[in-house]
Amino acid sequence: MKLIEELMERQRKEPEIVLKERLDRLSKTIELKEPDRVPLILTGCPPAFALKHAGVSGYDFYYDYERGWKAIVKFVEDYPMDSIFFEVGLEGHVLALAFPEVPEFMIATAGHITGPMHDILRDKYTKFPGRELPLTIPTGQFLGGRFMEAEEYGKLIENPAEFIRETILPRAFESLKDVHQSRIALIKTGIELSKAINSMTSIASDLTKLGYPVAPLTDAYCPVDFIADFLRHVTNMLIDIYRIPDKVKAACEVLVELILNMAFQVKNAVHVFIPLHLNEMLPPKTYNELYWPYLKKVILSLKEKGLTIWVFFEGNHEPHLETLLELPKSWGIAWFEKTDVRKAKRVLEGHTCIMGGFPTNLLVSGTPEKIEEYVKNLIKDVAPGGGFIISTGVADIPWGTSEANLRALINAVLKYGQH
Amino acid sequence: MSVSEEFIKSILELDERKALEIARRRLEAGEDPLKILGDLTIAADKIGEKYEKGEFFIADLVMAGEIMKGISELVRPKLKELGKVREVVGKLVIGTVQGDIHDIGKNIAVTMAEAAGFEVIDLGVDVPPEKFVEAIKQYNPNIVGMSCLITVGLESMKKTVDAIKEAGLRDRVKIIIGGGRVDEYAKEYAGADAWTNSAAEGVRIMLKWIREKAR
Repeated sequence: MKLIEELMERQRKEPEIVLKERLDRLSKTIELKEPDRVPLILTGCPPAFALKHAGVSGYDFYYDYERGWKAIVKFVEDYPMDSIFFEVGLEGHVLALAFPEVPEFMIATAGHITGPMHDILRDKYTKFPGRELPLTIPTGQFLGGRFMEAEEYGKLIENPAEFIRETILPRAFESLKDVHQSRIALIKTGIELSKAINSMTSIASDLTKLGYPVAPLTDAYCPVDFIADFLRHVTNMLIDIYRIPDKVKAACEVLVELILNMAFQVKNAVHVFIPLHLNEMLPPKTYNELYWPYLKKVILSLKEKGLTIWVFFEGNHEPHLETLLELPKSWGIAWFEKTDVRKAKRVLEGHTCIMGGFPTNLLVSGTPEKIEEYVKNLIKDVAPGGGFIISTGVADIPWGTSEANLRALINAVLKYGQH
Repeated sequence: MSVSEEFIKSILELDERKALEIARRRLEAGEDPLKILGDLTIAADKIGEKYEKGEFFIADLVMAGEIMKGISELVRPKLKELGKVREVVGKLVIGTVQGDIHDIGKNIAVTMAEAAGFEVIDLGVDVPPEKFVEAIKQYNPNIVGMSCLITVGLESMKKTVDAIKEAGLRDRVKIIIGGGRVDEYAKEYAGADAWTNSAAEGVRIMLKWIREKAR
C-alpha cells in the first residue's frame, strides 16, 4: 500500500491520533525543531482543483456555503496533508476597518466578502463567478481600484476611520451610498454573516473529524498594502511613494493602529494571517522606510498577544530577507511565493519557520517522476534542522493539476520527509 | 555629458521634474522630437537591464513608465505639428488571457512598450484564444504578449498558443508570457518563447527579438 493510502485510512479510522500528530508536527516546526516528518500544507483561495474534484463550480463555492465549502472537506479526505489553508471570500478588510465594533465580520470570513455579501453590498473591488465572471471560473477576483485621490491623504491622516466610513465606503460600495440603502444593506449583511458563521462551524467540525487542526483565525494587513488595495490602487500607490513619500508615511502611522484594532477584534483567535502584496515591488530603501517599520510593528504587537503569525510574502522577497532577523526568534511562519527557499533557509535558519518551496505550475506541467525528484531534492536541501513546511508557493492548486501529480507530491513528502 | 545622455540619466534616476524639464528645453530649442522619443527606446532598454541586474524593482519601473508617458505626451503635439510620425520599432498584440480580468501588470507592460516605441494593440482582459488569433491576422504583429495573474490563466495561455498554432500563425509571431505567477514551467507548458515577471524585462526581451530579426 502506498503511504498516501495508509494516511487516508488512518485519518478516517483514528482522527484523534492523527490530529495530535499533526498539531505536534506543526508546532515543533514553528518552534524550529525537527518534527517526525516535514509537514505539508496545501492552500487555496479556494484551491481550484478541490472544486473540480468535488464537482462544484466557483459559483457554488462563493454562494452556496455548505455545498461549496464541503469541496474542501472532500479534498483533504482524498488528498491527505497536515493542514489546509483556504479563504472563503475575497478581500473585504476595508469593511472590517470601518466597522471594528462588529467582530463577527472578522470571525466569519477573516475579513472577506462572500458571494451573497457581494450582491448585497455591491462592492467595486471584487468580481465573482456567476456574476461578473462566467460560472466556470473557479476563482473570484479581487481587482481593487482607485477610491481616493492623492490630494486626500490629509483627510485620511486626520481621521482614518471616519474618512474610510464616510468617504471611501460610499464610493466603493454601490449599496452604501445613501443612508437608507446602507441600513438595509448592513442588516442583510448581518444575516448573511450568521449564515456564514454556521457553515464555517459545520465545516470546521467535518475537518476535525478527519484529524485536521482547526483554529480561529484573524487577519492583519501592512498599511501600504491596505492603501494600495482599498484606497489608491497599486499603480497609483507606487507613484505616490515617489511623489509624496511623507504623506504615505504619515498615513501608514495612523493606519497601523486601526489595523491592529481590527486584528484584535477576534478575541479567541489563535492564528493571524497577513497577506503581503507590494513587498517584492519595492526597492530595499523604500521597503525599509515605508513598508517594513509598519509591518514589523504589526507583527510585534500581534506576537505580544500570543498569536501564531502567518505572513504570505508575495513574489520574490529575497532582497528583503535580512530584515526578518530583526524579529524575535520563532516569531511565526514565513510563507514564501517565489523566494528561493534554499536561500531563505541560509539566511533564516534557526530563526524563522519557512513555508513554501514547491512551484505551483509544476503540478500542471510536471510528471509524477519529476515531482518526486523535485520534492526529494527540496527536502534534502531545506528540511535538515527543522523549521520547514512544504507548500505550494501561491494560494491555489490549479484547475489543470493532474491527480497523479498531486498524489505524487503528497506521497513524496511522506516518503522523503521523515526526519 | 550630451543632453541626450543627461536626459536618459534623469529618467533612470527617476527624476521626474528634471526629465520633463530637459524634454521641454529640447523641444523649445527646436530639436527633432523623434530624437527625444528615440532616447525613450534607449531608456526603456536600460530600465530592463537595471531590472535584470536587480537594481530596479517594479515600483521603479512603474515610476519610470509614468515619466516616459509624461514625456511622450509632451512631445506628441510637436510631432503632429511637424507632420511627423514616430517610427514603430515593432508591433505588439497584448491581452490578459481568458478567465482572468487582472490588468495591473498588463497595463504597466503597455506603458513601457509604448514608451519604447512599440505599436501596441491592447485587447484588454479576459481575451479568448480566437480573439488573439483574429488580432494576429488583422494587425500582423511581430510579438504576442499574454498576461495572467491567477492560475486559471495557465490553461488559457496554453489554449491560446494552441489556437495560434492551429491557425498556422505560430511561425509569424514570437510569444511572451508575463505576470506574477508565470515561470519557466508555465512557459514550457504553454509553449511560449519567453516569460517574464516584469514589464521592463519583457520590453528588453522584445527589443532583443526585434534587433535579431533586423540582422
